[in-house]
Amino acid sequence: MELKQRITEMAGLMSISGHENYDRAALLDQLADIFDEVTTDPMGSHICIRRCGRQGAPKILIDAHFDEIGMMVTEILDGGFLRVINIGGIDTRILQAGEVIIYGEKPIYGIIGSTPPHLQKPGDAKKLKPINELLIDTGYDKDELEKLVRLGTPVGFVPAYTELLGGKLAGKGFDNKACGAAAVDALSRLDRAEMAGDVYLLLASQEEVGLRGGETGAAGIDPDYALVVDVTHGSAPDTKKDEAFPLGEGITISLSAATDLRLTRRTVELAREKGIKFTRVVEAANTGTDANVTQLVCCGIPTVVASLPLRSMHTYQEVLSPDDAEELGKLISAFVCDTKIAEDFAR
Amino acid sequence: MLELLKKIVKAPAISGREGAVADVISALMEPICDEVYRDKLGNLIAVKHGSAPEGERKKIMFAAHMDEIGFFVTFIEDNGYIRLAPIGGINFVAAAYTNVIFANGVKGVLVPETGTKADALTFDKFYVDIGAKDKKEAERRVKIGDYFVIEPSVTRLCGKRVAGRPLDDRVGCAIMVETARRVPTPRDDVYYVFTAQEEVGCRGAKTAAFAIAPDVAIAYDVTGTGDTIGAKPMAVKVGGGAAIKLKDSSVICSTELVAALETAAREEKIAYQIEILPYGGTDTSSMQMAGSGCMAGCLSVPTRYIHSGVEMIDLGDVEACVALTAAYLVRA
Amino acid sequence: MKENQLNGIELLRALCLEFGPTGCEHNVAAMIEAQLGDICEIRRDRMDNVLAHLPGSGPRIMISAHMDEVGMMITSIDDQGYLRFTNVGGIDSRVLCGRRVQVGTAEHRIPGVIGAKAIHLQSADERTQTTPVDRLYIDIGASSREEAEKYVDIGDFATFDSDFVRFGQDDRLMRCKAIDDRLGCAVMIETLRALVARGGERPYDLWCSFSVREEIGKSGAKVAAYAIKPTYAIVLESTAIADLPDVPANARVGEVGKGGALSIADRSTIYDPAMLEFAMSCAREADIPCQLKRYISGGNDAGHIHKTGDGVRCLAISAPTRYLHSGSCVAAVADYEHIREMVLAMLKNWDKMN
Repeated sequence: MELKQRITEMAGLMSISGHENYDRAALLDQLADIFDEVTTDPMGSHICIRRCGRQGAPKILIDAHFDEIGMMVTEILDGGFLRVINIGGIDTRILQAGEVIIYGEKPIYGIIGSTPPHLQKPGDAKKLKPINELLIDTGYDKDELEKLVRLGTPVGFVPAYTELLGGKLAGKGFDNKACGAAAVDALSRLDRAEMAGDVYLLLASQEEVGLRGGETGAAGIDPDYALVVDVTHGSAPDTKKDEAFPLGEGITISLSAATDLRLTRRTVELAREKGIKFTRVVEAANTGTDANVTQLVCCGIPTVVASLPLRSMHTYQEVLSPDDAEELGKLISAFVCDTKIAEDFAR
Repeated sequence: MLELLKKIVKAPAISGREGAVADVISALMEPICDEVYRDKLGNLIAVKHGSAPEGERKKIMFAAHMDEIGFFVTFIEDNGYIRLAPIGGINFVAAAYTNVIFANGVKGVLVPETGTKADALTFDKFYVDIGAKDKKEAERRVKIGDYFVIEPSVTRLCGKRVAGRPLDDRVGCAIMVETARRVPTPRDDVYYVFTAQEEVGCRGAKTAAFAIAPDVAIAYDVTGTGDTIGAKPMAVKVGGGAAIKLKDSSVICSTELVAALETAAREEKIAYQIEILPYGGTDTSSMQMAGSGCMAGCLSVPTRYIHSGVEMIDLGDVEACVALTAAYLVRA
Repeated sequence: MKENQLNGIELLRALCLEFGPTGCEHNVAAMIEAQLGDICEIRRDRMDNVLAHLPGSGPRIMISAHMDEVGMMITSIDDQGYLRFTNVGGIDSRVLCGRRVQVGTAEHRIPGVIGAKAIHLQSADERTQTTPVDRLYIDIGASSREEAEKYVDIGDFATFDSDFVRFGQDDRLMRCKAIDDRLGCAVMIETLRALVARGGERPYDLWCSFSVREEIGKSGAKVAAYAIKPTYAIVLESTAIADLPDVPANARVGEVGKGGALSIADRSTIYDPAMLEFAMSCAREADIPCQLKRYISGGNDAGHIHKTGDGVRCLAISAPTRYLHSGSCVAAVADYEHIREMVLAMLKNWDKMN
């Protein structure tokens, strides 16, 4: 299967924080024949193990959070309208007139309503409505809707994907399932004998609401060392240099006081050796990823962070370049196969 | 239930100083549990072993926090006024001009500095006047590091409504005591954990849950409501039944557990409502995240005016929480 | 005594001057290991915490002080060879401008100064406002990017570069960078030495953790505590003391020179009341000055330690320090001695702790 297809397939799953199990069957299909074991822990993280076949080999953790931002129904109103609250940090600018899916007894299509111009007061258009004041129009009668939807029903963006120039992809859920797909794709191509240890791909839950599943997942696995993969900002006309990176020019590796210095140095060296396209980025005290918690579980897990540039993060038209995802896949392969890291960091 | 609640409410116990209320609850739990002990952070843990054969029993952890918000003494001024530091989320509008009581029984009044405007009511503008004429007299009664609380009270209002403090979260403690009485022979191992230090960041529940490593954890706590004048829209109301939490700022409850609780409530015809709290946090998150994680949820008592001296609940909701827990234990 | 063994304030001076920003504590770790020599079992854990173990029978006690200091990290190098940087740990931007710094890694470093636009060139607003860190730069004297890149790389670290100065009446005060928390490290080293010299059976099993990464809150002490599984922990810290004329008495936290400051509670921890009582009684009996912090603020590694595993009973003893997190931390020589004696007094009487 092509990486591009893997990305849109995985990103298209419904995996709003706290509901990472919703599309479990479809996820298992996507992971079939690649892993020896896929389990789901009590926090909803999926742990996918691919063994190297040697006894006593180190445990290598690849953390790619699997959850995505979304919404949750808080009220069902007359006329078939819904009120919602955000799950994770949604960009509220994109919501009005957007399309959503309400994941009730059956999936229901809905539109986030907007106030027509002639009913707005002067100045209203300048203000963003907070998410809990928006209405979702379902087109159902309230009675009928109540049979299908209840308080707490998750609401997500429509999984529709568009290919842009240069093969770039636009759509929802790339944060961070594009990285998960890159990891799956890379691991699917690896010869087990080449792997320096047993690989635990942690498709972690609840990252978007506070790095939760990454912590409990890593504690359950207690790996020897870890690579956290997540998205970073892709550069656009309104981003600053040093905090966003051009699409198509590869991935980033974090230099940070909050990750392991030696492991980071070796990973950078490895990326150079393998001719992987990457930039180093300074994230001095905080990488903003699961690595913040991964490295502090149990007796400490040496951790390094690599990121995939993504434009318009936390919208339903996130944009990435599959070429960058390829580079991320190469780094993941190199990382799990590197015997030098295994020697230095195996307990 | 009201008598039980009154008994548990009376003991002043701020976060980190839960001993007094732990003594009261310990005496209530000892006759009905197999084991009652305290841990290093001051959690009180009462264990009731299940009737199912060893190896077939789940570990179920229930948690309600014993601690309440309050104050430490940090400084005594020359004129005998006492400076303080808040512990937990104090609402200083509610705290102004109230009677306070120290752990040793000394009483005083909590007041803002004269001339402080209502919008400038922060902790450093407050002091306690115990009526001492100078520093020397004050130091005979109170010392730095002592703690005090706004005086506890429970008042019966219309119907089943009750107001007072600290109902947050002594009402949760009362629910657990009553549950233990009502389910004398559970199938699974039940750990009733009366937790410490919730009000400062759900700390006690974290270490207790790590030690117990439960399969399932349920917290009992108060929650905000949408039924007061000026309240933000929220479906939860006082008198609407036990609130099954779906989320707050700190947790998304395990969907399986939520479903199991709803099923139990429907089958037993117990009044319940769904709680989606846009703010706040409870011991639920600490338990869900302890160690490698567990399935966690929360039953809340809808409460108006939380963290004031007039927190208001409906005893019907409290009873619904007990009934629902008992129903869940049968089905777990 | 070994030739290279440093004691008391000389030990503290050497530790303070060593380069050890958060995430790059290796040199401090190496110095501590060298100073401890082979007096007890010492190892580094997976996060580079240095753990020293004095076995004994009885409850397990962990003492923790952090090795790292606040510092900076180089984010980019511009065409003229100036280094742009960001803070690692909480530094007030007002203490940066005009300071001498060391830039580099554990292996090699060069000096630099933090520059900013000259006062003549500043607008009226700029003159009265703090220059934010993203408008400051480090000048290492390079005249081009190429020249700078020979010595410095992005991701390199920087720390304040300040001399250790004794000053005040009878030289009772000392000034340096990194007193927070090398003072705690020095106390632990001297405590270990004293206990080894005293010999005999110990009614406790003691682990000292020289911990990494306190200043960014991603605490090495957390994983050390997880591995050690102590019943008790004593965190040795430095605390910001504002015993200054323009601060009202009730907000002064404590006073420099009046002994170790014991915390009742801070933003991260409510300390164990029995340990607090025990510490005060030990100090009282041995006639060692100590004080209770008058203010509840800040936090330290205890915030992580006490919530580790099934919980740890915690006490914090802090050196009262003015101008914390700057190149000029000021503390009292006497407080160093008071804290050291207090820790020893507590350990000596540990059988009375319950």
